Amino acid sequence: MTEHFIDVLTYPPIQRAAIACVLCGASCSLLSVFIVLMKMPLIGVSMSHAAFAGAVLGMLLDINPLVTGFILCLLVAGVLGPLSDRTDIAPENILGIMFSFLMGLAFLGMGILTRTKASALNLMWGSLLSLSGSDIMVLTCVTSILVLFVLLFFKEIRSVLFNRRLAGASGVPERMVYYALLFLTGAVVSSNLATVGGLLIFALLVQPGATALQLTYNLKYFFIISAASGIGACISGLIVSYIFDLPSGASVVLMATAIFAAAYIFSPKRRMTKLKKRSMSHEHGTR
Amino acid sequence: MNKHIIELNGINVRKTKELLLDNINLSVSPNEFVGIIGPNGAGKTTLLNVVAGFERFEGALSLFGHRESWRRSRETRLRIGYVPQLFQIDPAFPILASEAVMTGAIGRLGLFRSPGRQEREKTMQLMELMRVAHLADRPLGQLSGGERQKVSLARAILQQPDILLMDEPTANLDIAVQKEVLNLINEIHKRENLTILFVTHDFNMLPAAMRRTVLLNHGKKVFDGDIDTALSGETLSKLFQYPLETFERNGRRFVSYD
Repeated sequence: MTEHFIDVLTYPPIQRAAIACVLCGASCSLLSVFIVLMKMPLIGVSMSHAAFAGAVLGMLLDINPLVTGFILCLLVAGVLGPLSDRTDIAPENILGIMFSFLMGLAFLGMGILTRTKASALNLMWGSLLSLSGSDIMVLTCVTSILVLFVLLFFKEIRSVLFNRRLAGASGVPERMVYYALLFLTGAVVSSNLATVGGLLIFALLVQPGATALQLTYNLKYFFIISAASGIGACISGLIVSYIFDLPSGASVVLMATAIFAAAYIFSPKRRMTKLKKRSMSHEHGTR
Repeated sequence: MNKHIIELNGINVRKTKELLLDNINLSVSPNEFVGIIGPNGAGKTTLLNVVAGFERFEGALSLFGHRESWRRSRETRLRIGYVPQLFQIDPAFPILASEAVMTGAIGRLGLFRSPGRQEREKTMQLMELMRVAHLADRPLGQLSGGERQKVSLARAILQQPDILLMDEPTANLDIAVQKEVLNLINEIHKRENLTILFVTHDFNMLPAAMRRTVLLNHGKKVFDGDIDTALSGETLSKLFQYPLETFERNGRRFVSYD
């Protein structure tokens, strides 16, 4: 069995898939820290649909779908930033409208697209086993930029995550952090269209962060746990999909859910809160 | 040279057709402690937001002798601290009380510089001053409302501002905790030589150091002067459109109503 696995790992498509797993897991899960802590899961949904709609449009216009996906993501990021800074519309509503508009656009494109519907469907759930060298290259660049962003601006990021308004009031360039985050979300989502796809990526943009939220109060560890759970979900998903001959994107998402469920069940933070509540009610009861 | 640290001339704030602030003129001198008081919807928070740079406005605003728009330079922002009303935070949020205080130093440090020993020592000193040093390593979301507001005060002071804006910092706290926070605010005002704008709607919970009061109603300034004159039954009854009486106890005025 082990020999068989080592044998399999020598095949270039499997090697590329393994590298993509690490990169996809790392990039999506680092972003998920922001999405979970800023309570903006709709940003992930909107961006993933923008990437998907852009890619479908690319197919219609005979342009590289990843390029059009990326362009539409950047456009959406450019619109979302200023719109969500306006105080007269709730950000959730803006995201909701954007999300449904992009979904409509994607399905409209799918309806018109008669020739290559199968490849358009591939963009929905990705295919880890059919990645090209350039897919890996783009993913490496985007992931490196994201990691660098987190490392260089960690203290500003902590400040913005804690309270965006307070951060801005005290001279932290919160707009720079927020806009960079939107653009990076666009870049990560569109570069991962080929790995887990435009629809399933949403799970990786939320679940690793939600997993870390169960386990630590330290923001540095939060990023590390999130990245580890994202990479873990991608690699274990790939292995499961290989062994049981299942779609790789769906397997990755299901593994991410399983990791979250385990973290939730064994969460030390949840146990601590429960104990605290119990001791408080006991105190009240004995008075 | 202009001796006022804050100067508002004919400030209007509009939301669609409604005027949230209507021709507000206000001058504040350095080290003054000014209360901004009024009923709900009077425009108190909007006024504070104009000074903080959170709100677009029409009219002329000068801070530290310089004309300002609603967009502020980093340098101006650093000189204005802000203490918001108690806000909700997820109990699981990954930030410790000391880290929350430390966020006050981030803007002043600038990009690519990490907080060092000096910032850590100052953080602990301020947490001691606010009587929350023993909670430094506790997750912020697990502290009580009063403890979180003390952390918020320490955070604002760590920024080393010249002006401190406070938006109902004692709202939603127990009476004893409100009193404790108010005493800390008095202490800060004396110690740090700060100019303070303090928004509240509770006349019976005012910091002793606040001697000047601006009363707002429907976006208009209806009174600006000494607190004892402001706290008269007649002025307040007119402002709140409800019969209110005032009485004196231990040299301080209080408001009562049926």
